[in-house]
Amino acid sequence: MTLHLTMRRLLTTATLALALPFATLADAKDLTIGLTSDPTILDPQAGEELSSNIMFYHVYDPLVRRDADLQFGPGLAESWSQKDEKTWVFKLRPGVKFHNGETLKASDVVFTIDRLKASVMSNLSANIASATAVDDLTVEIATPGPYAALPNDLAAILILNEAYVKSVGDAELGLKPMGTGPYQLKEWAKEDRLTLEAFPDYYGGKAKIDTVVFRPITNPATRTAALLTGELDVVQDLAVRDIERVKAETGVTVLTRPSLLNILLALDVREKSPTIALDKNPMTDRRVREAIARAIDVATIDKVIMNGLATASQQYVPESHLGYVDGVDFRAMYPFDIARAKALMAEAGFADGFAMTLDATNNRYVNDAQIAQALASMLAKIGIQLKLNLMPKSNFWGYIRVPSDNSSLIMSGWDVPSGDAGSMYGALYYSRDKKPGYGEVNRTGYTNPEVDALLDKADSTSKLDERDAHLQEATRILLQDIPMVPVHYEQDVYASRSGVTFTPRVDKFIWAYEMDVAE
Amino acid sequence: MFAFTVRRLVQMVVVLWAVSVIVFLMMTFTGDPVYMVVPIDATQSEIDQARRILGLDRPMIVQYGIFLSGLLQGDFGLSYVFRQPAFGLILERLPATMEIVLVAMAFATAVAIPLGVYAGANPGKPLSRLIMSGSLLGVSLPGFWVGMMLIWVLAVEYRIFPSSGRGTVGTIFGVETSLATASGWQHIVLPAVTLSVGTLAIVLRMTRAGMMEVTRQDYMKFARAKGVSRRGVLYGHGLRNALIPVVTIFGLQLGDLIAFATITETIFAWPGMGKLLIDSIYRADRPVIVVYLMLVALIFVVINFVIDVLYTLIDPRITVK
Repeated sequence: MTLHLTMRRLLTTATLALALPFATLADAKDLTIGLTSDPTILDPQAGEELSSNIMFYHVYDPLVRRDADLQFGPGLAESWSQKDEKTWVFKLRPGVKFHNGETLKASDVVFTIDRLKASVMSNLSANIASATAVDDLTVEIATPGPYAALPNDLAAILILNEAYVKSVGDAELGLKPMGTGPYQLKEWAKEDRLTLEAFPDYYGGKAKIDTVVFRPITNPATRTAALLTGELDVVQDLAVRDIERVKAETGVTVLTRPSLLNILLALDVREKSPTIALDKNPMTDRRVREAIARAIDVATIDKVIMNGLATASQQYVPESHLGYVDGVDFRAMYPFDIARAKALMAEAGFADGFAMTLDATNNRYVNDAQIAQALASMLAKIGIQLKLNLMPKSNFWGYIRVPSDNSSLIMSGWDVPSGDAGSMYGALYYSRDKKPGYGEVNRTGYTNPEVDALLDKADSTSKLDERDAHLQEATRILLQDIPMVPVHYEQDVYASRSGVTFTPRVDKFIWAYEMDVAE
Repeated sequence: MFAFTVRRLVQMVVVLWAVSVIVFLMMTFTGDPVYMVVPIDATQSEIDQARRILGLDRPMIVQYGIFLSGLLQGDFGLSYVFRQPAFGLILERLPATMEIVLVAMAFATAVAIPLGVYAGANPGKPLSRLIMSGSLLGVSLPGFWVGMMLIWVLAVEYRIFPSSGRGTVGTIFGVETSLATASGWQHIVLPAVTLSVGTLAIVLRMTRAGMMEVTRQDYMKFARAKGVSRRGVLYGHGLRNALIPVVTIFGLQLGDLIAFATITETIFAWPGMGKLLIDSIYRADRPVIVVYLMLVALIFVVINFVIDVLYTLIDPRITVK
């Protein structure tokens, strides 16, 4: 008996000793954020995926900054103006400090842009001809032609410190970033934690949260568990199946926000389509394309497969974007209507339908495989037999690449983080092989001289409202022509502990500078 | 012994070479890494240029040749995603994997051998039956399920252990390890226990079978008759002989644990090389996958070699030729 008691006491003590430091981890102005993956490389000109991007914007600043709703504001550049059609002048904010104490100079901006132009891993600098330092605080950026969307591109170009990059070299820069941002890197234990500390001399004032720890937790169930144990204050991509469980917990809030990622169905419109056995591709007929649009019941997909966590897309780009047309809704133009869809098929001479293959991913988008299955059963109702060709994303991008042309129907997602439909339209809808840099991923084979001309005009004006007008006109034509059927925007799901001020951003960036925790 | 060693070393090289060929051929099916590296709307010329930079424009056989000659010079190639030496990336994560594997192994041994000896020496007792049904459960339960249950009960419900991560890392002999700090030990308990469950059950069952075999031997009865204590007979005479098959299993399990740590690491967000492998497969990061698989093959080959040598130490009647 005594022995047992002693044993038990010993065990309890041991457990407590182990558990004690764990309980005192939480501190007032610290924040721990669970991400789905670790950054791969911290060189802002070498990585592109979301986790790396989140880190980049904490440590570095762009010339032009976008807020949570993608609206422009000054960043490192206090103001900018257009000297002529092809030349922009940016005035830098005076006295901006890098984390190493150096002051930001125009030559740093020039160095950054030159380095980017020499890199192949990013095409952000395609519309920049050159950058020149006029004086310490003035940079002139020349574009190859008139180009109104330059500030869009600059919002994604983060300014490096010339002397630092030259002294540490590229490999070291990828591990130890150093910029003007609100946070500086303290420690990066790869795949375990990345710790950032508020930079006291940040030009916008010191961040409210002193220490931010980002933890990569790939497994969604583990992320939920770590939130429930209090190890995490905010989690990214809360698993859909955990939402109810987390909502039931006190002190935890679930937050959702429609993302920019538009799931689109690309219809091959070339005369001959690789997976259709007929001599002439039925989808060259606009009526067949409209029939497909009308046969897809997006509302049911969103309710049944997405658990309500999706928003039917009205156009190819979201409302906040340049090129979006107010009051136009694809769903209103082509409401779900099987009878009408069948009639259109019959009118086009395909009352008996036809068969083709749908190429889609099975590990890239939320419930992508299930959506593909639903599409197959929906299109079967108007006689279109879909054979599903599902594959992991590492195979998918190579399979659907242009110009290999394997596909008749492709489901994939597009987001335009620059907030401008122009780059997407130019890549997806511009006639192939007509102009270098355009139509490069035009997988539908769509070609319309009118759209090409509008995109040319949009890319050769230096006025943003003119660009917007041309892109909107292109949107109207595309929604009539239906080379692609917009399906839905995924919804981002986050959870945070109460007391944490956190508003999800439309661009999915988790931005600690906007956050706070209650004492 | 010398001839044996040389022959085994040659065998090891041949095995590793075969693995490198197979792995390299398999890589053709994992997708085209270029598309994971370039932006989604990259132009064809950018894709071509990236392909050239990564060396993917050459024929497969030439790529293999470059890889092999690099290998012989100790250069394992650069990761496409991290732009850093693939081998360095894996080495960086090796300590994290080895520490959960070693703690799991130590835990499995410490629990399995005494229980196995007891169950083997007292086959009829109720406690033995309990141990045996428990071990059956251990063999059959999948590791990821055990891990999730441990997280649920001990981390979420009772908050005794943290659910994920590696905790604070300290240094022992220049190696960064969680074993050097209290927080590290707290973090290591759940993943190590999860990882150990299968091995624990197998080692226990092997030990018991060995003990049951050995207790029937005359020398055991003789030793007992000579006046050696029951405990002395069991551990001194019996265990030594019962352990021979256990050592083989032990070695193979060690290899298994390193390979299977992948799943446990993913569940507990443990920053080891298994998690790196999963992430690399996801990103089609070919150099990392190849180097990882070759390293695991090397570990297996070395372990087998060590087992053969250990045999002779445990039982001098066995000689290696």
